[in-house]
Amino acid sequence: MSYKIPMGPYHPGLEEPYKLDMICEGETVQDAKLHVGFNFRGIEHLAEGRNYIQVIALMERVCGICSNIHTLTLCQAMEGLTGLTPPPRAKYIRVVMAELERLHSHVLWAGIAAKLMGFKTMFMTCFELREKVMDVLQAISGNRVNYSMNRIGGVNRDIDDPLALLGMIELLEKEMVRKVIPIFTTSSTARLRCAGVGVLTHEKAISCGVVGPVARASGVPQDIRRAAPYAAYDEMEFDVPVQPDGDVRARLLVRALEIMESCKILRQALTKMPSGEINTGEGKFNFITGTATSRVEAPRGEVMYSVSWKEGSRTPARVHVRTPTFATMPAIRWMVMGARLADTPLIQASIDPCYSCTDR
Amino acid sequence: MSLLDTIPETLGINEPWTETGGVHWLPTGGLNVRELAKAMNALNARFITITAYQLPGAEGLRLEYHWDLDGQLLGFSYTLAGSSIESIYDICEAVDWIEREIHEGFAVDFLGREYEPLLLRQGDKLGVNLREEAK
Repeated sequence: MSYKIPMGPYHPGLEEPYKLDMICEGETVQDAKLHVGFNFRGIEHLAEGRNYIQVIALMERVCGICSNIHTLTLCQAMEGLTGLTPPPRAKYIRVVMAELERLHSHVLWAGIAAKLMGFKTMFMTCFELREKVMDVLQAISGNRVNYSMNRIGGVNRDIDDPLALLGMIELLEKEMVRKVIPIFTTSSTARLRCAGVGVLTHEKAISCGVVGPVARASGVPQDIRRAAPYAAYDEMEFDVPVQPDGDVRARLLVRALEIMESCKILRQALTKMPSGEINTGEGKFNFITGTATSRVEAPRGEVMYSVSWKEGSRTPARVHVRTPTFATMPAIRWMVMGARLADTPLIQASIDPCYSCTDR
Repeated sequence: MSLLDTIPETLGINEPWTETGGVHWLPTGGLNVRELAKAMNALNARFITITAYQLPGAEGLRLEYHWDLDGQLLGFSYTLAGSSIESIYDICEAVDWIEREIHEGFAVDFLGREYEPLLLRQGDKLGVNLREEAK
């Protein structure tokens, strides 16, 4: 006999509200349906009533984890409509902010995954590490969540002493190599909870159009930083970690390796940061009529903004956001099919979902 | 000749790509959206999203379909005289949620597919979020 088990919209295993209706035979999930929309704030509609300064502050609030990425993508699109090019130093600062955000997002996710595995001490270790990254973000921007760093034509704040941040990078790398990666990869608890669980096959990953670490953990070597470089990524050397297995363990490994790659990128960006201006100044600019698009590799995968403007207008005609979780989340259905019911909280968490981003 | 350059001929379009706003655009002319989706699948292009725009006055709606081909962003624009267009869900699974979202936000009917319960909000009225006449 099959029966339906709802998980959510409010559930201890979910970081934000959404609902997973699972059809089970015994302890095995046969099928699942996803329901989102609990965080719908109508942000795209609100954007049509905001001027070019206000809209940046608004879109920063699409997501509480990757807020910087949203303003970066939006500003890049708006730079396409104004013809402004950020100075080289601004591009490097954008890389530093984006990679610090990736670090704190991935370490946060590792902590949450550890908690869902029953690894409470690992959860605390990860959050302690994340706190150090947050301290650096605060030192640079003055803020811990909405950094207000990006503007049309560059960034708002400089990094006065880039080399002073290298110590944090070293510390984080050491902690990852000494503690986090060995425990996640060699502990039998982590292996038993993650290996072969919540598999998304390579074929299904392509057909669902999933992005970011979820795609890379299913053997799809896709990364916008490499495929269509933006900011100063074309001057950075880094690898794109790819794992073939498509299970929770593969997603965990991809993110762990990406933390190391982020450290590598940060070290390059901080040591090679050119001197000069951080934005194009207060000079006047006009928006041209038309639409511009920008894509950025957020911690969860590709974000795309399409921004449309009418000449002479102070407000955008349309701002459309395609967030990574919007692309990745439908694949949860395929990950939980055939899984044990007890594994579903960890499986859904393994895509590092952001429902606020998804709903906007 | 790059893969990008072969696409117009494959699709039977005599005009070249134009690059604006970070997107390679190809005029769709009389090209059916389902034929386009099949061609993109054949090229192993990755579907990204559809962006809907309401045009001024009674000009209708414009849908912009985006695919990624080896890091290049491709765009195909369709102007809808009415409020419907064929769904490509059965050809391209990745469009499921964005077709549902546009159906809800702009009251566009994607023909040939079934809709599950509303994606973004509960209620029974479509187009309330982004359609001009409903604001």
